[in-house]
Amino acid sequence: MVGAAVQGLPMMGRQREDAEQAAERTQAGEEDLSQKALAGDRRAWDALIARHHRRVVVSLLARGIRVDRAQELAQEAWTRLIQQQQRGLLTELRLPNLAITQAAFLAADDARRSRREAIAGNVEELPERQHPVDPAVSAERRLLSEEQLARAHEALAGCSPSSRNVFLLACDGQELPHAEVAARVGLSVQRVRQILCEVRKKLRTSLEEESHD
Amino acid sequence: MTEPHLTPSDTEQYILGALDPERERKLEAHTLVCEACARLLQQEALLEEQLREVASTAPREDNVIRPARWRVARVAALVVGPALAAAAALALMVSHPGVESHPAQEPAVVLTLELPMDLPSTVVACPDLTTQESCTSAAAARGLLVQYPFGMGEVPRYEGSKGIPAGALSSRPASL
Repeated sequence: MVGAAVQGLPMMGRQREDAEQAAERTQAGEEDLSQKALAGDRRAWDALIARHHRRVVVSLLARGIRVDRAQELAQEAWTRLIQQQQRGLLTELRLPNLAITQAAFLAADDARRSRREAIAGNVEELPERQHPVDPAVSAERRLLSEEQLARAHEALAGCSPSSRNVFLLACDGQELPHAEVAARVGLSVQRVRQILCEVRKKLRTSLEEESHD
Repeated sequence: MTEPHLTPSDTEQYILGALDPERERKLEAHTLVCEACARLLQQEALLEEQLREVASTAPREDNVIRPARWRVARVAALVVGPALAAAAALALMVSHPGVESHPAQEPAVVLTLELPMDLPSTVVACPDLTTQESCTSAAAARGLLVQYPFGMGEVPRYEGSKGIPAGALSSRPASL
């Protein structure tokens, strides 16, 4: 119903312009880095790895992989991506999703190999010693049920608009650094993290409710 | 294994990237020798993944901004109807010269609109491009006027070449 709009009027205010410009800058920065990385710029790769490495490691930890192995697998995932780029196999670079997918593939492969070796050889040395939770099992468990999602959304709706905004900015897949989130909402980084902790606490409770029913 | 066990706060700070490198290194080292703390860290990471799923599936609210003060010469927010009518009138005048055969009627009124001096509280904006369409619809459904900053809105098409519909050129603002 854009037809009902008032036309030709000036922009609403500076706040909106600032937010849009910040978003555009971040987006442009990420795209610029991706393009350079696709062209083989090593510094661009370094910048992208610095920006997204933690996210990849956390995704592996969530699959029940120990932190040292998670770090190794994440490094391996980046190496594979760079190799693919050098061979001209990468046409686009959507991060961190591509790196997370690559790392998950390596983790699954790793778990399969460990299991095969354990069955074929030393039975005492069970792969579960290295991987307390089987990544394949974890992957299924990671999916939230509809009920859990509904509860979480309800809990999120109960947060203050500013808290909700901070949470969504930090977690909605744009992968904004906390400093960037802080700049956008006009708070300190410390306050942003404090808000994130508060929201996490509420959402954690809402997600755990179901298991107690 | 002299390091103290991790607290949920430690693991949360680690996941959020809020720890300094030294503390981070110690925490990681501790999880390598303490199964319970490794589990704790993994659970926190799992929560992080779940929360990302929550965030990515969260229903986005339309970002409706109601301007508190609007200084721009008090331009016209309430004149949706007349403004559109004026645009339509001009368009008709350009594309249908036949309209000029009725100069004594209403076009003059169009060009001397009485603009409201106060910004009505019913004017809102929908600046978020991703939700702009639904926001605009929602605002219209609530009887709000939507300011569309880029001026890209469609001008309603008035019927044919018979001239401007009666009532379309009222100098009064459209009723709310």
